[in-house]
Amino acid sequence: MFLRQYVPMAIAFVIGVAFAVQYYVPHPASEGLLTTVNDWLIVVSGFSMVLGLASLMGSHWAKVRRAVPGWGYSLVVFLGILGTLAVGIVSKGKMFAGEGLTLTALGWVYDNMLVPLQGTVFSLLAFFMASATFRTFRARNLEAGLLLTAAFLVMLGHVPLGEYIWDKLLGFLPSKADQVMGWIMNVPNMAAKRGILLGVGLGAIATSLKIIFGIERAYMGEGG
Amino acid sequence: MRKLADKVLSMDRRVIYLLMAAAALLPFVTGPLGLPSRVSPEVKAVYDRIESLPEGSPFLISMDFDPASKPELYPMAEALVRHAFRKNLRIIGMNLWVTGSGMAEKILSDVAEEYGKEYGKDYVYLGWAPGATNVILGLGQDIYKTYPKDYYGNETSGMSVLEGVRTLKDIPFMVDLAAGDPGIETWVVYGKAKSMAGGCTAVIAPGMYAFLNSGQLVGLIGGMRGAAEYELLLKEMGKATVGMDIQSTTHVLILGLILLSNFAFFSTRRRG
Repeated sequence: MFLRQYVPMAIAFVIGVAFAVQYYVPHPASEGLLTTVNDWLIVVSGFSMVLGLASLMGSHWAKVRRAVPGWGYSLVVFLGILGTLAVGIVSKGKMFAGEGLTLTALGWVYDNMLVPLQGTVFSLLAFFMASATFRTFRARNLEAGLLLTAAFLVMLGHVPLGEYIWDKLLGFLPSKADQVMGWIMNVPNMAAKRGILLGVGLGAIATSLKIIFGIERAYMGEGG
Repeated sequence: MRKLADKVLSMDRRVIYLLMAAAALLPFVTGPLGLPSRVSPEVKAVYDRIESLPEGSPFLISMDFDPASKPELYPMAEALVRHAFRKNLRIIGMNLWVTGSGMAEKILSDVAEEYGKEYGKDYVYLGWAPGATNVILGLGQDIYKTYPKDYYGNETSGMSVLEGVRTLKDIPFMVDLAAGDPGIETWVVYGKAKSMAGGCTAVIAPGMYAFLNSGQLVGLIGGMRGAAEYELLLKEMGKATVGMDIQSTTHVLILGLILLSNFAFFSTRRRG
């Protein structure tokens, strides 16, 4: 109980208070402390990647062992990880060989596999978005109508062809399409974003205080 | 009429996919549309800030994106690096997205070769380091402790490109190109940059306007459109300018689909 609950709470309290105070103390000792702790955190972050990789491989290995439906995809995960790892070791982690721009094996895998694969998956979004827009973007009520109008105007002002259409059809208006888009982005959009940011900021402060004072204990595996 | 509207509303999604593919391919058939683009003040502000830097000033560019955002952010990064090399600035490149480190390296190497720039003297690529927010905090404390070695394993201390640079405060201007988190918001919150601008995908650009208006960002390059505007300012037609034709046709198709679906929706509703 003492080691599992009070010690982590005490560490969270001491470190939390110390670094909240540290922010306001520009003394070299205080800056040095931040640098040291920051270095520790960078090292810990590096290990968290190893942990993530181990967890990913563990869960996929379980799927392969139990031969659950779709276990073949888990084999692809292993092939991808181990293959890239082997290629990375052979290429000593370098994309280019020597001083020139000749690709190493790792560079080839990156350029010819990772880049097109990620690009392909992301580009599919355009097709899904077009379909979803057609099915759901309807002015069913006032709020939906306002959202639709704003999105329509922003999209129109975002591309040269939209500006061209605006100039041809609505050229008599005092504002151009890009100016209308600019106003939507700079006034109503920014007001909403500021509200969200303030809310997130206040929420983060409240959560930090709850962790520092031991009210929020979910990080120790407790309910709350 | 009602029947037609019903048919439109229940259009097979594969028809939409086909229309989308046709719209994306159209500029390849017709050739460049050649439509002029206007430069927005937020993009011009980034350009002007780089123009105002004296020759030899250090300039940090953090390329925090991966291949998924390549069409939007790659041309943006190329344009910014080109501009910085033209101005003979000392470029410090880095990235916070591990899957993007190879792309960031390629951008710097390619453009450096184009301008005959020397590694270690005119530019350096620090690469990726784990713990995004801690890396940014670390750069605010001591660049050499956060990146004791560059991407290629060379010692960073003593590099002439980093002369006079110990922390972010020694860098007069930086640009973060981001596709999400960690990105611009992370740099604004944790970075101690003297002056900073952002470049991002169009989808996250609306969220960045709050930082632009508060002065935390001096300028913002949003999506492929922003990149094309930057190329226009550099008077160099690049990938973004070419890509804007495809974005134009696909955007206009989506606008047409929105109009069509709403006309059909209202015509079925009015008739009960």
